[in-house]
Amino acid sequence: MIDVRNLYKTFWLPQEVKALVDVSVEIAAGEVVVVIGPSGSGKSTLLRCLNRLETADAGHIFIEGVDVLDARTDINKVRAEVGMVFQSFNLFPHKTVLDNITLAQRVVRKRSGSEARQKAETLLKKVGIQEKARAYPDQLSGGQQQRVAIARALAMDPKVMLFDEPTSALDPEMIGEVLDVMKNLAREGMTMVVVTHEMGFAREVADRVVFMDGGGIVEIGTPEHFFTRPTHDRTKLFLSQILK
Amino acid sequence: METMTTQRPFSRRKARSRSYYTGAAAFFALGFGLATALYIATLQVDYVWRWNRIPQYFFYKEKEEIRADIEGEIEALAAEGENRRILIRGADGEKIIEVPAHDLRVAKGDLIAVGDVLGVREQWKVGLLMQGLWLTIKVSIIATVFGVFIGLFAGIARVSANPFFRWTAVTYVEIIRGSPLLVQIFIWYFVLGTLINSILAQVGIAQIPPPLWYGVASMATFAGAYVAEIVRAGIQSIHRGQNEAARSLGMSYAQAMVHVILPQAIRRILPPLAGEFISLIKDSSLLGIIAIRELTKATREVVTTSLQAFELWFVCALLYLVLTFTLSMCVKYLERRMIA
Repeated sequence: MIDVRNLYKTFWLPQEVKALVDVSVEIAAGEVVVVIGPSGSGKSTLLRCLNRLETADAGHIFIEGVDVLDARTDINKVRAEVGMVFQSFNLFPHKTVLDNITLAQRVVRKRSGSEARQKAETLLKKVGIQEKARAYPDQLSGGQQQRVAIARALAMDPKVMLFDEPTSALDPEMIGEVLDVMKNLAREGMTMVVVTHEMGFAREVADRVVFMDGGGIVEIGTPEHFFTRPTHDRTKLFLSQILK
Repeated sequence: METMTTQRPFSRRKARSRSYYTGAAAFFALGFGLATALYIATLQVDYVWRWNRIPQYFFYKEKEEIRADIEGEIEALAAEGENRRILIRGADGEKIIEVPAHDLRVAKGDLIAVGDVLGVREQWKVGLLMQGLWLTIKVSIIATVFGVFIGLFAGIARVSANPFFRWTAVTYVEIIRGSPLLVQIFIWYFVLGTLINSILAQVGIAQIPPPLWYGVASMATFAGAYVAEIVRAGIQSIHRGQNEAARSLGMSYAQAMVHVILPQAIRRILPPLAGEFISLIKDSSLLGIIAIRELTKATREVVTTSLQAFELWFVCALLYLVLTFTLSMCVKYLERRMIA
């Protein structure tokens, strides 16, 4: 489904940072991959390279056989198939919850207003906030906003969902409701790549865990392998630090 | 938001210190003092204030004499509302002329020669200052509409990744903002105007655009450059995440701009845009130099004929003040509506 080969990315401003160094990973359809690692390890950069919000310097990314980094590829078509959820929600503040979810359906998918609205209402029910359809984002709690953001991405019927630290900006009591939505999504067989610090989620939901450090992948394995008998010292150190 | 605005009058009720009252008193004393000083100074040069002569430059009554154009005798006077219908019968035939009743100068049976005054009709006419004010408003509105269009496109081009659009916009903005408006008006009128007019004449189009067009063009391109910078700042003030969210959903650059970025940017653009229009109204006073009789030029003409320079220039400034103040009030109202 997703095939990342020898990906490199260096940021030059404000100073030189090698964000990705020779990263290769394959993700199968229906798989849930959780990417963990210390901050600055390149996990968000990897995620943002997948739908070309960042452009990798070298390497290849194929999503369903489409070469994402090829300049001739219509990136908008790729992005319509790849849903993304951001740490800071990034809902459109000038639009109601309903309009947030219908906008891209109408503009990109060219769906009719009623079709888009129906889809939005179904998804709002799914994420458990159908009563907030007419509200504006700033009238919602963080957890509710993030659930709307998930619904907004799902409305495009994506083949993959990317989650970039979806719970990091949330108050602790709201993390659960967002993770529940993501767990349901995983159960339904959605292909997901999740960057997170929620180890519980990784242990419970992930098919595989990717541990990154210093721009490279240190270790890939099942949660069971990863949390009970990691091979690399760096992984052991990281786990000892966070699981204290 | 609403509670904040309703609370405001109460917070003003708090007790005021003595320095507040002395400050307020000093303010009014300063205003009164300056006015008095000015008045005393005008007495020194024997200036005679004649405010009563000013209203006629806004509106005045024009008296039109209605004259007979045939010879004959008045046969009948019939009431027709406020008017009188005069029937003149002569050797050449008969004719009916209507004249206002209160200024009737003839009676039944009078003998009339060609050119005799039958009555006087009074009509209200718009004075020079009023015409100038209207032209200033007209020029400002047209230039504003075009200026916003130019500025919107230039502002969007300014943040484009494409060098053609970006460099074109940067060059335009820098040239316009780096040279005086007065010089730009001269270039529009004497250089571009001459070129366009002679080319139009060569291809046989006799209709040469009036100076007003060049004046409006210079104002619009001038305002456009400043609006472009306002638009650019507005777009750049929108958080990067908004664009990323829109693009990640598969929207193109243009779609993200139209549906997500611009609607949010417009709200932030509005207040500085209003300031720009207020400048535009004031800057239009320069257009007098290319024979556009806007408010300042009109005032200058009235001053030459009436010699009441002091009153007229004060009136002129006051009229501009009314325009700009009204506009800024409207925008404040709009702003409050948009935030709430």
